[in-house]
Amino acid sequence: MTRTLTLTVNRQSHRIAVAPETNLLHVLRNDLALNGPKYGCGLGECGACTVLVDGLAARACVLPVAAVIGHEVTTLEGLATPDGLDPVQTAFIEKQAAQCGYCLNGMIMSVRALLNRDPHPSKESIRAALEHNLCRCGTHVEILEAAYRAAGHDDEEGCA
Amino acid sequence: MNASASHRSTGIDRRPESLGGEGRFGVVIRPPAYRLDDGTFVCSRLQGVDHKSVATLPGRIEVVVEGNFVGVVATSLQAAREAARRLRLEWQPLEVAENGTQQGRALRVESSHQENPAEADATLGRYLTRHYGWPSRMRWGDEPGWVVADHGRDRLDIWAPTTTPVLLERDLMALTGLAGEAIELHDVASGSGIGRHCGDDAAADAALLSRAVGRPVAVWLDASYARDVEALGQAQRIAVSVEWNAQGGIERYRNRQELVGSDTPVVALWLSGMLETRRHDDDVATGEPASPPFSPYVFRDQRLAVPGEARGSHDDGRALEWQHGFARESFLDEVARESGQDPVALRLRHLDDPRGVELIESVTRRAGWSWPTKASEEGSTADVRRGRGFAYAQLPDRHGRVEEGVRSAWVADIDVNRVTGDVRLTRLVVGQDSGPLVDTAQLQKTLQQRVLGVARPLLAREPSFDEWGENGGGNRDSSSMQESRRGLVAEARNVAGTSCSTPMTRSDGEPVSALSPLDEADLSPGVAVIANALFDATGVRFRQPPFTASRVRQTLQGECGARGGEAATGRRATRWRWLTGAAVVTAGAAAMLWPWKSPIAPVARPAANLYSVETIERGRLVAEVGDCVICHTAEGGIDNAGGRAFDTPFGTLYSTNITPDEATGIGNWSYAAFERAMRHGISRDGRHLYPAFPYTAFAKTSDADMQALYAYLMAQPAVSAEPPANELSFPFNVRALLAGWNALYHDASPFQPDPSQSDLYNRGAYLAEGLGHCSACHSPRNALGAEQGGERYLAGALVEGWEAPPLNTLSRSPIPWSEESLYQYLRGGESELHGVASGPMAPVVAGLGELPESDVRAIAHYVAAQMNAPASDADDVRLEAQQLVARAATSPAGLEAGERLFDGACASCHVDTGLPSFTQAKVSLALNTNLYSERPDNVIQSILGGVHATNVPGIGEMPGFADSFSDSQVTTLVEYLRARFAPGEPAWSGITERVSQIRKDDNKTHG
Repeated sequence: MTRTLTLTVNRQSHRIAVAPETNLLHVLRNDLALNGPKYGCGLGECGACTVLVDGLAARACVLPVAAVIGHEVTTLEGLATPDGLDPVQTAFIEKQAAQCGYCLNGMIMSVRALLNRDPHPSKESIRAALEHNLCRCGTHVEILEAAYRAAGHDDEEGCA
Repeated sequence: MNASASHRSTGIDRRPESLGGEGRFGVVIRPPAYRLDDGTFVCSRLQGVDHKSVATLPGRIEVVVEGNFVGVVATSLQAAREAARRLRLEWQPLEVAENGTQQGRALRVESSHQENPAEADATLGRYLTRHYGWPSRMRWGDEPGWVVADHGRDRLDIWAPTTTPVLLERDLMALTGLAGEAIELHDVASGSGIGRHCGDDAAADAALLSRAVGRPVAVWLDASYARDVEALGQAQRIAVSVEWNAQGGIERYRNRQELVGSDTPVVALWLSGMLETRRHDDDVATGEPASPPFSPYVFRDQRLAVPGEARGSHDDGRALEWQHGFARESFLDEVARESGQDPVALRLRHLDDPRGVELIESVTRRAGWSWPTKASEEGSTADVRRGRGFAYAQLPDRHGRVEEGVRSAWVADIDVNRVTGDVRLTRLVVGQDSGPLVDTAQLQKTLQQRVLGVARPLLAREPSFDEWGENGGGNRDSSSMQESRRGLVAEARNVAGTSCSTPMTRSDGEPVSALSPLDEADLSPGVAVIANALFDATGVRFRQPPFTASRVRQTLQGECGARGGEAATGRRATRWRWLTGAAVVTAGAAAMLWPWKSPIAPVARPAANLYSVETIERGRLVAEVGDCVICHTAEGGIDNAGGRAFDTPFGTLYSTNITPDEATGIGNWSYAAFERAMRHGISRDGRHLYPAFPYTAFAKTSDADMQALYAYLMAQPAVSAEPPANELSFPFNVRALLAGWNALYHDASPFQPDPSQSDLYNRGAYLAEGLGHCSACHSPRNALGAEQGGERYLAGALVEGWEAPPLNTLSRSPIPWSEESLYQYLRGGESELHGVASGPMAPVVAGLGELPESDVRAIAHYVAAQMNAPASDADDVRLEAQQLVARAATSPAGLEAGERLFDGACASCHVDTGLPSFTQAKVSLALNTNLYSERPDNVIQSILGGVHATNVPGIGEMPGFADSFSDSQVTTLVEYLRARFAPGEPAWSGITERVSQIRKDDNKTHG
């Protein structure tokens, strides 16, 4: 049954008519035209759909839209500010961490979520945190280097 | 023992704990039938007691028999109740003379507009006769409580909330043969004295039991004593008639006493045979000179009956004055309304006494009396009717001098809730002219105390477990009483003012004791004033007190064509008929089993505005607890329109349409039909309903909740939808067989609170056993589909392919539940030590979300008691949980196929990788009860269908993997989960078969 819900996405308030059990990803992409989050597996397995909810990583494809009422949703589109890109985005560009790029939304959002809690996580922490973000192209090395740079490990040697 | 008796008594009060190890608990067993017919006591005769039937029970059980008085005494109330339930007694049935000898009932019918023969003349506006009654017991008591008796060799101590100590002492003397000095009554309640209640009967029961076992005995006084109230019926019946002239003036006034027995002795006295079972007013006549009851009014031709010789003293108040005053003041109100006059004006017309006239004028002016009262137009809503009444009394002083006596005028405003039957006294203006030397402050205080004392037994609700709201067990009654108290405080000033404004001097100068103005405070108009206000509010005349919620509700519902009250009486009668039938094995038993039930005539759908918003809201809560919508909504269908399929071992059932559609739903069901279905499982058309519909639990719902539920359902939108026909195999498709099923397994008796438990427990038990019908899912069923009780109660069961885990001590939860955890789980859908609600439990939690917190706490408290669970989680339990989680952190060797599936599909949410995540499963699988169960069903269900409940914050959303995993992949994954997260448990067998079966069943129900 359709209800009118109020969502806060990228610091803006939106009123949308939607069934409360609709997943957040569909609302973001279809109703709000925010295509940063990608549809991958639809089962919460790959991480391509990751957004931030109150600064925490969230897999938007398994999250009913009703569950984020009253919470702050941030998509990839909301990371940048008028002053420039988010440092995580800058790091991914600088490290050229994309092949096809489909997973990058999830990678960037997950790193952002990790840095929100710990600005300088260890490399092990970064690897563990990204363990369940899948990449089909095999760009893992570049992705990890970008994440290390964003976490301030730039001056260190190697990545393995 | 005798020597210690006087010492022991000092430490005892009404709490049985004060008895120490000495004390025993007694339960009395009344005969299947007993009643007082016009002063003659008749009852079933006891013919045999099978002591063997309780011989196997543990602990010391003593059976006490004296004549037809039977009681069981044991070391705990529960043991005594169990023994009383099991004790086999043989009763000679009472020849039933169903010719309406029970005056109480006859009068009740009369009160709901059944006309007297004399009514024919009354239509001419000239002549009117009415009968008024006074009950033998005003009500069973003010609140449940213990009554304790300690019968030593030559002395008896009683702790009982009696309001009529003199009468009680007299009855105890007759019962025990002890002298008055040897009987001591403790804990005497300061009641209004307007009538006896069953505290006296319980005291006598306890005394007999105590004497028999030679120890102090505690008896629990509660609503079960209402049977005594009913059996003893009327103590007094008064007929009043008048003739009035064309100007409305009363020419002739007559009153006649048709039944005299203002003080009916205690039931134990009748049953034990100590009092001969014949007209009691014959044998103990005192020969006291009788004088006609005083009437302050002057009629041209007046004949007042001389009261018959009542037995015993009248020390306990002016019982007869009260009764005659009630009859007279009610009757004048009726006459005024019949003849179209202001009841106040009619009284003034026939009052010759200037002090009385001045008092009435002063009180009615202060109360803003006008005629017609228009009270009902001022603030009535759909359910609540307002009314205003007036009554007046004058009593001669103690020397019989009329001029010196007390005059008292009352105006009462009340609210009547038609649905619940609650009567609330909203404002009372009392004026009293008590003579010159009265301490007005003291009088004011006395009046306040005693006015509330009058109002409480007349109006009070039964203290109850079915109160809704944040106070849960809290008593709405007390709050409404407090409101009344506020209203009284404001008006009590007027009382003082009135008595000062009419200064009178006393001719003989006899001092009036300022310290005890009780004698001078005349409260007798208190009963009639409420009856008159009730009529003003509802148009129904109550000709016998008390006006308790249940009586008012029954009468008003009788008015509306619904038969709730009658149904309640019928239920009680049926139960006793059954017991009698079992004892004597007659055709009565066969008649009881006869499957055919008559249809209840269809009615038009009740108007949308018949019930108030408050009642409908209460009904909504009732519906939420009862989970109506879960079963009565098809997958993806419209709420409550029915059609959901239930696979039972006997075939497929479809739930019915319970929207108020007249053709396909319940729109043409009267309340009586609805209530019969809810309590007895019989459809409006007389067909039996299958017990998949948990009427076995719903039967426990209180009347008020049942009404509210009806109101709510009838206020919903009507949906035309015909559910599919049931597909049952023979013989289960023969509905008539359910009559036998019901006789075997269905107990339609309403919920009985357990006095040895707290209010919280009883509220929880009411919700869980009744509306919440926890056991419908959580108790295993026998081969015929009946819930199993005893040790199997809440022992877990399989429902709709999901396992409803045990809620008793058989719980297999890896971390034991606590009351606090249960509360968190029921309130938020998640417990940090146990996981989330899923499957059919998810909508249950969603429904509970609508309830006040206190109700959910009560359910948690009750379930915790079934589990023997502690109040909260101790630190060592949390430590244990951490260890379980740590133990499951690594994957066991040799299950790599399962590990791959888990890492790919599950780990992103079910393994903590250190990524701060909103969609992370908060509770580790290592704490999930489902993985520790004896069967894999819930794990398989969760994997295939996922976990969903969008409207409960704590219930995470998990996608179903039915479309992405094969049966063998699910099997591999389930094996892996069991091995990794419940390593101490043996591997499940037959997983593959369960997976394919559940997949098949889910496809069937989910289309």
